[in-house]
Amino acid sequence: MIRVRAYIKFFISCLIIVGLALSCTQQSKTLPQDFEIATAWADMANSITKTTPANSPTFASRCFGYIGLTMYESVVNSSGEHQSVSAALNGLGNLPLPENGMEYNWQLALNAGQAEILRNIYLQTGDKNKRKIDSLENHFETLFKKKHTDNSVSARSILYGKKIALAIFEWSKSDGGHRGYLQNFDKKLVFAEKPGCWRPPLYAQSFSHFPLHPHWGGNRTFVTVNSLIPDPVYIPFDTLPGSPYFNQFLMVYEKRKSLTQDEKQAAIWWSDDPEETSTPPGHSYYLATLAIRKTRPDLVKCAETYARVGMAVADAFRNCWKWKYQFFSERPNTYITQHIDEEWESFWPDPPFPSFPSGHAIQAAAAAYVLTDLYGDNFSFIDSAHVGRKKDEIRNADFKARHFNSFLEVAEETANSRFYGGIHTPQDNAMGLEKGKIIATNINGLKWK
Amino acid sequence: MRFCMIAILLLISSLFTESFSQSRFKDVTVETGIKHVFKVYEGMFGGGACVIDYNNDGFEDIYITGGMNDDVLYKNNGNSTFTNVFDLSGVTLTKKYVTQGVAGADVNRDGFVDLFVTTITRRDKKQVIPRGINLLFLNNGNGTFRDATKEYGLDRLLSFSTGGSFGDFNADGWPDLYVGNYFNEYEGKLSVINDATVVGANQIAKGNLLINERGKKFRDVYADYGLDYRGFGFGGVFTDFDNDGDQDLFVNHDFGYKRTPDLLLENHFPKKAFTDIGKQTGMDLRINSMGTAVGDYNNDGLMDYYMTNIRFNYFMVNQGAGKPFVNKAKELGLGFFAISWGANFGDLDHDGDVDLFVANGDLNPSCVAMADFYFENLGNKFEDKARISGLADYGIGRGSVLFDYDNDGDLDLLVVNQEPVLDYPVPSFTRLYRNDSTHGNWIKIALKGIQAESHGIGSKIELEVGGKKMIREIDGGGSSHISQNSVIAHFGLGNAAKIDRITVHWTGGNKQTITGVPINQLLTVIEIHVKKTNRFFIYLIIPVICIALALIYFKKKTLNSKKLIIP
Repeated sequence: MIRVRAYIKFFISCLIIVGLALSCTQQSKTLPQDFEIATAWADMANSITKTTPANSPTFASRCFGYIGLTMYESVVNSSGEHQSVSAALNGLGNLPLPENGMEYNWQLALNAGQAEILRNIYLQTGDKNKRKIDSLENHFETLFKKKHTDNSVSARSILYGKKIALAIFEWSKSDGGHRGYLQNFDKKLVFAEKPGCWRPPLYAQSFSHFPLHPHWGGNRTFVTVNSLIPDPVYIPFDTLPGSPYFNQFLMVYEKRKSLTQDEKQAAIWWSDDPEETSTPPGHSYYLATLAIRKTRPDLVKCAETYARVGMAVADAFRNCWKWKYQFFSERPNTYITQHIDEEWESFWPDPPFPSFPSGHAIQAAAAAYVLTDLYGDNFSFIDSAHVGRKKDEIRNADFKARHFNSFLEVAEETANSRFYGGIHTPQDNAMGLEKGKIIATNINGLKWK
Repeated sequence: MRFCMIAILLLISSLFTESFSQSRFKDVTVETGIKHVFKVYEGMFGGGACVIDYNNDGFEDIYITGGMNDDVLYKNNGNSTFTNVFDLSGVTLTKKYVTQGVAGADVNRDGFVDLFVTTITRRDKKQVIPRGINLLFLNNGNGTFRDATKEYGLDRLLSFSTGGSFGDFNADGWPDLYVGNYFNEYEGKLSVINDATVVGANQIAKGNLLINERGKKFRDVYADYGLDYRGFGFGGVFTDFDNDGDQDLFVNHDFGYKRTPDLLLENHFPKKAFTDIGKQTGMDLRINSMGTAVGDYNNDGLMDYYMTNIRFNYFMVNQGAGKPFVNKAKELGLGFFAISWGANFGDLDHDGDVDLFVANGDLNPSCVAMADFYFENLGNKFEDKARISGLADYGIGRGSVLFDYDNDGDLDLLVVNQEPVLDYPVPSFTRLYRNDSTHGNWIKIALKGIQAESHGIGSKIELEVGGKKMIREIDGGGSSHISQNSVIAHFGLGNAAKIDRITVHWTGGNKQTITGVPINQLLTVIEIHVKKTNRFFIYLIIPVICIALALIYFKKKTLNSKKLIIP
């Protein structure tokens, strides 16, 4: 009996050893595919965004813009079809070109560029995160270096990726958002005092009584035309029941009473709180990753996807913030408690900045119109961004994966989720979606090919 | 807008009521010589007040933090006036810091109350990351204090501390401390600053549970006692919620709905452990918990807790051992909304039940004026009588304290107010109100601990009169909002002419009863020293017996096992 057991044990051990050996040899033979490298870096960008303290959707959006652009510019010259967009961007100019007739490994260039831009743009992240970046960089570097007997190819490619990243980082310093996390709140800001103006939230997401990044709207856009989009129109303030302004808030008030479980789940799913997640722009960047994982395009299209989504959400936030502070409009928690029901409280706590237009809506639309342009209107997928998070006990809602049939469906739901959360009126969302589309169209309109 | 209109209307009407009728509380700020306003640091928090008889003259004095202004130490002159003796009292080190809360206890048991002042950052130099040490001042016994922060091992805690509270959770007579911190402790040198340290600075913080080592030193035993919670802390209050004779700790946390909720830490004395039973007891409030008032509103012998919040405050009524607390704020007529900070239970009209004062104030810099609340206890309900009582001040209220400054037997009230950063419709400064509203009899009881804490901090007094039983805990601070009420217990007695019985439950377990006590007096109860030899003997004998039994057992066992081997 004992002998039989020993034989079985031996046999199983052998199997394990052989299995391990096989898997090792397999790993060293096949290199990761292009989409795997691109999405690994996008995952890293999202992880750094999420775990860097004092992050904000504004600052995060800007970072995704530069990270995505760096990815694209570091590999665009591998393609005969695509072309650099740097000269068309707001003051970036021409980027360094690869040496004529020399061989490059574009995976290594991308790898080096992503590591370099992340380290620089997230200067403020902790040592643990910096080690994570280094380790991913080393991982791919080791794998791809083995491919070349000629060391100079690897060295040249790595150098090129870094050069692109550094040139883009240099440019980023003058956009108004560089190290913006040091000025999240301007404690000398004097608030506007007029009927309907924003008040520091009482049911708040943040301990700050000052609004976030009040000067962000003066930052440079990636694409000049995005800074020239006409201002949205805001329904004039009114306290009269039945007036269009009153009705906007009445709808929020009524919705709160009839929230379905699915709407509650949508409200918490899209909240993308900067303290716990990679922020709304990070969620959009993740959607790009989902599209890439499903279609597995070549390296340049992967990079183009991130560049377009990143710059679209960055310009969306910049414009949104310009309008938020121009209109300096109140949240439902302010209006409803004064004019409809003193005891009312929103489903989700208020973020620390004015209401109109919705940042969620504008960036979701910007990302959705970019992704639709690249991957088509009919694109079904499952969003698992928050799967595994602990149930929200206060709101009695779970984080359950969500299924979509198109990117525009996502944008629609993202916008609505703020209405369900009771922190945005329908006009905030509608105008966000409308302007987000224009911003995306301007990004899509660059000469990518 | 409507809020402003209401505020203005209320203001106008309050002016009229004041001129036509005698209000029950008289604002005596100016005539008593009090001139104080708390100045905020970058729109942040504060401040508090601590009632302290620092010169043991029988007239209670008061220390008030100033934030960006200097603190004040108001000496009670005994003639209903105060003199600010701050500059001469040896506490001017506080000028270098942005002070927040303050608490007092006789740390070294020399008979004089010492002061503990919490701070959030330096005032004398700009720090990118706001942090500061908390300051301990020992009372020299001659009207002055000396800085003992370093001596007591408190000079290395670079914290962003809101409120401190004294208690005696190990019941050894030496007052211990709990300190609430809002942002995480800074472990490096504050001069070494980079972007990473700056963005990492606004994280939730652990509290400090500082054990008093025989009056010589404080040592942080937070982890040793099994605690690992982090939150946006506004301090805590030591209280025996379950009447088991040891001091438990209720901790207030800001943003409980996003981060860590309030904690109710059950003390497992004599085991060195606290465990959070917030969830089972319903005390894990997920609110912006600013402060706590402690009092037994229905005289059922169980302590109830009123927590201040943004918008709606919570009144957690004790249902007895093993049952969760129930929020009865609305049901009992306390369902008004405001932004509330300080709160105090006290029998302000001497009718035999505790009333409730609540200090309200908006968040600087952008402030809407809102009046303080004064809820009179009508037996089965409360009624807001702030306006007719002359307590509906629209200043930017924070900490508040009750004490009898004029020694006339009733509780007077001091409310710390913040200076508005921007334009504000009414004056906002710290106010002292003299209580002119009482009709019934009273008694004040001061405790003198011999084995227990020297002013009875943590002890409980039970008073029986005409079939009614009332209880009071001696306040060690951290109550109201980062403040400390008088350590002299006060009871209103209505028409009763004699007190049937007073029982003092001293921390450490001594119990003392006095019967047939005359009314309308300040009674000082001195703890009767109980020789602990008996107990020591028991403690000695039990281990001896155990060891003996164990030896016998093992010997038998080894014998048995030997027997088994032999065959």
